[in-house]
Amino acid sequence: MLLTELLRLVWLNLSQNKFKVFMTSIGIIVGTATIMMVIAIGTGGREEVAEQFKNLNAGSIDISYEYSGSSRGAGGFGGSGGGPGSSGRTSGRSGSGGGFAPPSGGSGSFGGGFPGMGSQNRMNQERITLSKDNAEELSLMVPGIKSATISYSTSASVEGGDLEESKNLTIGGVLENYMELSNLTMAIGSFFTEEHDRQKEKVCVLGQEAAKTIFGSAYEAYNGIVYIDSRPYAVLGVFEEMGSVASGISPDGSIFIPYETGVKYLTGTGVSPTITVVASDVDEVDRIKEDIKTVLADSYPNAEFTITDAGSKMEAANASNRTLTMLLVAMAVIVFIVGGIGIMNVLFVSVKERTNEIGILKAIGCSRRDILLEFLLEASCTSLVGGLFGVLLALGITPLVESFGMRVSLSVRDGLISMAFGIITGTVFGFYPAYKASRLIPVVALNQE
Amino acid sequence: MSAHVIEMKGICKGYLLGEERVPILKNVDFTVDRGEFVAILGPSGSGKTTLMNIIGCMDEWEYGEYFLNGRPIHAMEEEELNEVRNKEIGFIFQNYQLIPTYTVLQNIILPLLTRGMTSTEAKERSMEIIRMLGIDHRLKHKPNELSGGQKQRVSIARALVCRPALLLADEPTGALDSRSGKDVLALFGQLNKMGNTIVMITHDLNVAKSATRIVRISDGELSEETI
Ligand SMILES: Nc1ncnc2c1ncn2[C@@H]1O[C@H](COP(=O)(O)OP(=O)(O)OP(=O)(O)O)[C@@H](O)[C@H]1O
Ligand SMILES: [Mg+2]
Repeated sequence: MLLTELLRLVWLNLSQNKFKVFMTSIGIIVGTATIMMVIAIGTGGREEVAEQFKNLNAGSIDISYEYSGSSRGAGGFGGSGGGPGSSGRTSGRSGSGGGFAPPSGGSGSFGGGFPGMGSQNRMNQERITLSKDNAEELSLMVPGIKSATISYSTSASVEGGDLEESKNLTIGGVLENYMELSNLTMAIGSFFTEEHDRQKEKVCVLGQEAAKTIFGSAYEAYNGIVYIDSRPYAVLGVFEEMGSVASGISPDGSIFIPYETGVKYLTGTGVSPTITVVASDVDEVDRIKEDIKTVLADSYPNAEFTITDAGSKMEAANASNRTLTMLLVAMAVIVFIVGGIGIMNVLFVSVKERTNEIGILKAIGCSRRDILLEFLLEASCTSLVGGLFGVLLALGITPLVESFGMRVSLSVRDGLISMAFGIITGTVFGFYPAYKASRLIPVVALNQE
Repeated sequence: MSAHVIEMKGICKGYLLGEERVPILKNVDFTVDRGEFVAILGPSGSGKTTLMNIIGCMDEWEYGEYFLNGRPIHAMEEEELNEVRNKEIGFIFQNYQLIPTYTVLQNIILPLLTRGMTSTEAKERSMEIIRMLGIDHRLKHKPNELSGGQKQRVSIARALVCRPALLLADEPTGALDSRSGKDVLALFGQLNKMGNTIVMITHDLNVAKSATRIVRISDGELSEETI
């Protein structure tokens, strides 16, 4: 048969049975839409993780000290007895060099009651403040460190701009290299310099959201004055919006001031800063972490520092994201199997109904090739319609899924993949029964009900 | 080459009912010559349709040889049989067997499309037959919009468009009133005079009488009837 005539017949069959074509493709529609949503949600999750870590350099390492004596700000040094056990979270490397240090004051009172915890609680009883010197020492002593910085965050009441009453905001005390290390960019103005820090000048840089809260816009904030703890700070600039981040100070809603300025006017010596170093080579992060421990143990034998690197945080987040993706993929596979069985049934029935037609075609001498081609084209057109509507359905329910707070990332490529999946499934299941029918001898096909 | 259009020797066919083989055609010898109009007459269940399906190359059988226009059907492969069905045989089914989604015209020209013609060519070639059968005003209708007699004529038109030398008709008058039945038989007589070889099945002696030769079938065995 001529291909044009065959196509004419295919078109005829499809247009004569629009409703049936639609019903047949329902399974394909649902299957395609599910696959597409699953891929989109999986990709969205991965993107979200990537975005949350965008303020981190892959090779960056955070060092902080967790004091497990009495609560912070309770005045004097050294921990005042009541503390042990109150926070048992100190990581327990009990065999490490630090463990043999003489017991510090606090462990006595409760320690006896909790055998086995005592040895851990000897750690971190001392009040230690990491300093700029520590940061400098690390970058000198540990090879492979590209740069180091130190920062802390606190909160203080802020006034000024359009604010009608004072507002508590996060204040970051940072060094001049903070902007670069956190992948931040200025929207307007410039970041403060080493000079500002040395002179303990009252200047600040605002996060995008903080600028909007206080002044209404970044433009109005620039060159303005904010009052932090009732002291005036000149606004040097405003950051671009960063979005949510997984680690460190969330920049959008914060105000950044020079490190020393903050120590002088806001925190005093009770601050607990975090040192961040960046490895020049990401592969050396583990070695550098060990070296940092050794260097710090020299100065603080009784202290256990919390050292985390961005890579392992990202790894952990990615791992949980992979779990989610696997789950979604498993779901999609089930949907496709169930959907596939549904498609198969529907197509089996509808092709069975047409076994008689296949019998007629054979009786008038139509070749098997022509019969198969006709049914193959019909099945693939039906699936194409199903695949297209499936993609449209996925696009349609995307806002709904997003309204549940899930991030959905659609792409043309994933749409095509899902469509291909739907089309292949539909074509195979639609074609197979026709293939079987075409092998029957004419009378058998003709007499089948 | 023999003058026989159909030459069957010792054809046997049966169906398996459970373990047991029920014979339907028992050692049938059947010969039809060019230009004959043969009626196969027999009661219901005697094996008429079974025999006709074998003559039409649409069914398999167990033993025996079948030559159509001197060519051995029993030795043919699927694709050859397709060609024989398309070019040499016009088959009129007991229950019309029209494709419900196609129009009358599309149903009629389908065998020509199968041969590789365009639908325009095919329509031109079929118009004469369509007019002869008086269905030219129904070409755009669907089969379910037609009466039984009209369907029968569509089915006849489809059997004739390829101008086959052999026309097979299974109970062509069975579902028609006596007037339409007579029309169909008159048409067959006319076609036969034009040189067509016709084999027709019927259980009605009066219908059979319009043929030039009658063969009786009962219990799967043939016997010649002298008119
Ligand atoms: N597919 C089948 N399986 C089993 N038996 C069959 C099958 N087809 C036909 N038969 C049997 O073969 C016998 C002959 O059937 P056939 O259709 O040839 O009869 P017929 O002479 O055409 O009858 P009618 O005049 O009613 O059409 C019947 O007894 C029938 O039961
Ligand atoms: Mg019959």
